[in-house]
Amino acid sequence: MPPATDLEDQQLLKALAAGDRSAFERLLDRHEAAVMRLLRALLPEEAAEDGFQETFLSVFRNAGGFQGRSSVRTWILSIARNAAWRHYRRRSGEPRDLLSLEELGLAAGWGGADDPAAALERQERRRLLEKALEALPPPDRELIVLRELEQVPVREIAAMLDIGVGATKSRLHRARLRLLQSLRGGGAGHGA
Amino acid sequence: MVHDREVGGIRCTEVLAHLSDYLDGEASPELRERIEAHLRGCDWCERFGGAFASVIRSLRAELTEPQPLPGEQRERLRRTLRRRLQSEPGPAGDPPA
Repeated sequence: MPPATDLEDQQLLKALAAGDRSAFERLLDRHEAAVMRLLRALLPEEAAEDGFQETFLSVFRNAGGFQGRSSVRTWILSIARNAAWRHYRRRSGEPRDLLSLEELGLAAGWGGADDPAAALERQERRRLLEKALEALPPPDRELIVLRELEQVPVREIAAMLDIGVGATKSRLHRARLRLLQSLRGGGAGHGA
Repeated sequence: MVHDREVGGIRCTEVLAHLSDYLDGEASPELRERIEAHLRGCDWCERFGGAFASVIRSLRAELTEPQPLPGEQRERLRRTLRRRLQSEPGPAGDPPA
């Protein structure tokens, strides 16, 4: 059974599909901040605002097409993601992931003398995390936002990305390692 | 050069590859046991694994709730959306307030 908040979302979508525009307003209230966070993870501010419009127009137009394969939140984030990537691909092309896992681990501080978490324990935890997140390549930011911040299940992210669960886990693992690297200031340390 | 030694029946590079599975509770019992034995015997991986877990936990604890949109931006986005929805043949009724 879906959680209570998702049941409410589903009821709102049904109401919207039946012509209740006030339900759209409620859906905006509930999801606008999460949608904007994901869009900002992928796009500059102005483009994120365009993506926001595109996302909620699509929600409005397609409310009746929701099939319940994921939570409503995931469905809306998936629409936002598609909008963002259409924009991103037009400008930047496909991202690439060239480092081996070991190279990535070393860059993240694996085997280093310093502790990438130590800075977090000192001060400005939130600001440092946000800064590290901002420094990630957009595909990594997207995964971290979806999995760690929005807590979208891995299988739903896999469906959203149209890749397998294993590949999603692998990409998430690399994104986490790059986050550690980013927290360390991007330098590759190796204390072997 | 990658430091890679076998401790607890598993190599450092394998522990690195499976850290997320371990952290997410998705490692098999056998793999979990080997990773834990490795972490007990390898300072390198114990230190990095602890930092890795700590950062992910901090991320979840500190940033889970998205910041509300600033009032001015929220109003502007909604005004634009409302204008665009007025020409939509979608759900009948009044445009969103």
